[in-house]
Amino acid sequence: MHHLDPRSKLILSFYFIIIIFLANNWQSYALLLVLTLGGVFLSGVSFGFFLKGVRPLIWLILFTVLLQIFFSRGGTVYWQFGPLALTSFGVINGSYVFCRFVLIIFMSTLLTLTTAPLEIADALESLMEPLKKFKVPVYEISLMLSIALRFVPTLMDETEKIMNAQRSRGVNFGEGSIMKQIKAVVPLLIPLFVSSFNRAEDLATAMEARGYRGGEGRTKYRIHFWKRNDTLACIVFGLATLVLLYLRNW
Amino acid sequence: MSIHFEKVNYVYQPNTPFEHQALKNVTVSIPEGSYTAIIGHTGSGKSTLLQHLNGLLKPSSGRVTVAEKVITASTKNKELGDLRKHVGIVFQFPEAQLFEETVLKDIAFAPKNFGKTQAEAEEIAVEMANLVGLPDELLSHSPFELSGGQMRRVAIAGILAMKPEVLVLDEPTAGLDPKGRIEIMQMFEELHLQHQLTIILVTHQMDDVANYADHTIVLEKGEVIAAAAPKDIFKDPRWLVKHHLALPKATNFAYELQKTGKFSFEKMPLTEKELAAALAASLKKGGNQTE
Amino acid sequence: MEEPMIEISDLSFQYPQQESEALSHLNLAVAAGEWLAVIGHNGSGKSTLAKLIDGLLIPKTGTIKIAGVQLTSSTLWNIRKNIGMVFQNPDNQFVGANVEEDVAFGLENQGVPRETMIKRVEAALTDVGMWDFAQHEPARLSGGQKQRVALAGVIALQPKIIIMDEATSMLDPEGRKEIIQLIQNLNKKNGFTVISITHDIEEASLAQRVVVIDDGLLVQDDKPAKVFQRGAALIESGLDIPFSEKLKNEIRNQGIDVPQEYLTEKGMVDWLCQFISKK
Repeated sequence: MHHLDPRSKLILSFYFIIIIFLANNWQSYALLLVLTLGGVFLSGVSFGFFLKGVRPLIWLILFTVLLQIFFSRGGTVYWQFGPLALTSFGVINGSYVFCRFVLIIFMSTLLTLTTAPLEIADALESLMEPLKKFKVPVYEISLMLSIALRFVPTLMDETEKIMNAQRSRGVNFGEGSIMKQIKAVVPLLIPLFVSSFNRAEDLATAMEARGYRGGEGRTKYRIHFWKRNDTLACIVFGLATLVLLYLRNW
Repeated sequence: MSIHFEKVNYVYQPNTPFEHQALKNVTVSIPEGSYTAIIGHTGSGKSTLLQHLNGLLKPSSGRVTVAEKVITASTKNKELGDLRKHVGIVFQFPEAQLFEETVLKDIAFAPKNFGKTQAEAEEIAVEMANLVGLPDELLSHSPFELSGGQMRRVAIAGILAMKPEVLVLDEPTAGLDPKGRIEIMQMFEELHLQHQLTIILVTHQMDDVANYADHTIVLEKGEVIAAAAPKDIFKDPRWLVKHHLALPKATNFAYELQKTGKFSFEKMPLTEKELAAALAASLKKGGNQTE
Repeated sequence: MEEPMIEISDLSFQYPQQESEALSHLNLAVAAGEWLAVIGHNGSGKSTLAKLIDGLLIPKTGTIKIAGVQLTSSTLWNIRKNIGMVFQNPDNQFVGANVEEDVAFGLENQGVPRETMIKRVEAALTDVGMWDFAQHEPARLSGGQKQRVALAGVIALQPKIIIMDEATSMLDPEGRKEIIQLIQNLNKKNGFTVISITHDIEEASLAQRVVVIDDGLLVQDDKPAKVFQRGAALIESGLDIPFSEKLKNEIRNQGIDVPQEYLTEKGMVDWLCQFISKK
């Protein structure tokens, strides 16, 4: 799973989100579940991480599911109160929506856990390649993205250092009234801004000194190869689509 | 105000694959009024130890006593606010913490946070600016217009403005040129002598340890492996080599001289002055003897 | 005489919104294979000089020639291929996502074919002892290791000149020692011309020649021994003097006659031994 080409992983993840809307019965959801769990198993990542991905979204999911349950009409009516109704149709729809959410979250967790952010940036660059014809600075966008990603840990470090320094000067982050909390952010944001600006300037100088003058005429050190497994994964997804279409009209 | 660590352990990100124990069973004291140097390699736990001094971190287990206040794993954050006033920490590259429109406001920031009025805080700020040798005309400038050395002084004044009893310095001269370095170190020396500040200096510079400190704590992989006066720390070069620690230059030179067999030192010199005095004595006397 | 690698004449530079020049009428020639230390206090103009040589700043007056070619906007990019720079802050020059990609960055810019790149990246990382870390991300490296990677990035480009712009000033003593040792090797074994901009006097003492810059003016240009002999002038310029000179001064204060000329630490030991044997 980690060794798949990031391009195939990116495309297939998006593709999965599309085909999930083809599913309209238990059999098709079961198929998608098997597909997802297969991916989870192959990734070797512990299942707990996937559940963690669901947790922050649980309220949104429940809310949507409840909407589906109480506002869909059809089938046997179990209970009714004004516009609210609990119907067999609603219960089924609600559980489909729930499955859809969980499967999408699992699949995107799978993508992010097995693909370094930088590989995603690479994949995007490669997939946006045709846009170069329309004068979109694809290369620059991708370099910008990869440098931004590269500096995430540095900035997190910097944030912690500045927070510690300001705490030592009597600032309490995350305490007191909203106004107080907003005020407490200023001594954090300004130094962060200043240091990022200095970093950017240093980095620009260093890049220029190393001969960077835009994407023209550059060669690439990091390249990705489309391997047999990538083709295999695409075939699996293709077959799944066919089965889904068949099940849909069953 | 002395500081005690009793069996302190600190674990970063416990119960995750990134779990890392930064302090291991640390029991050590920092005497009141001392100038204590903390030495050890990058990753030895120095900065973790330092953050325990004013409650930025709380021990995972064990207890830290600062200003009669006991900090354990269960101490509430709210109870720590007052502690930060007593222990001022000057972090590495402290100019990164500057943010106010003017130098004056930035120095006055901490006293205001600790309950001083605007007027009181600014009065303290002016006093502290003088103390660190910033000319008055700079007070109305933006801190970002100043030179690197001046920004460093503003940041230090901003900590001194809390009037702490303990001043913690994490590599305070990093990045400064030799003149700036000497000026800043002498300023701390004066604060220590004239204002009876307890100073805790985290450093890689053994010469600073030799020149200024009267007590030394050596950390290695999260453990305290020695706590003694600098002269006792530096009297066993083999022990230092074993722990990848350097000697002060004067001490190192004295050992080189001893190897020639023509000189011997009863008491190992720590500074150039001590070395020169010992050498002059034996040069005048001649022969294989030194004071 | 052979043509100098770097030839600077009447070079001046002024930053916008500054009242005085950061560098004034500077003349300097550096021979191929030479190791030159440029020392001066912070803000003396020494880093400005480094940036001017690499064409990162445009001079107000004067000319710079690198290997006989005058630096102009049209020769700039070719000249830069001859110069590798390592800057002060280890974090702010690490462009790649991991070690090997960072080393490759300069090669990619020059359009070096990928097969050649792979070989050169490995060779350069091996030279600085960082090949085992090829896949590491910058967040997992110490400052000293990041500077070694930066140096590998320079070596991989096979320039003639290496400029170290205070590259050791943010490192701990161990990191500093490693970088200085690497530079010594690169200068002696591989014949790189080295310019090290520094205020570390021990680092400067290893160079073949020392230039002192004070408030934009070149105030001394001599062999280290000669420069250190004029210790008082160095201290006046906001700099330090080597340990052996300090010790000599202290011994002189004790009322003992010491030699005028600069002694290295080894020289000092020898002199002391001789002195005591004569008694």
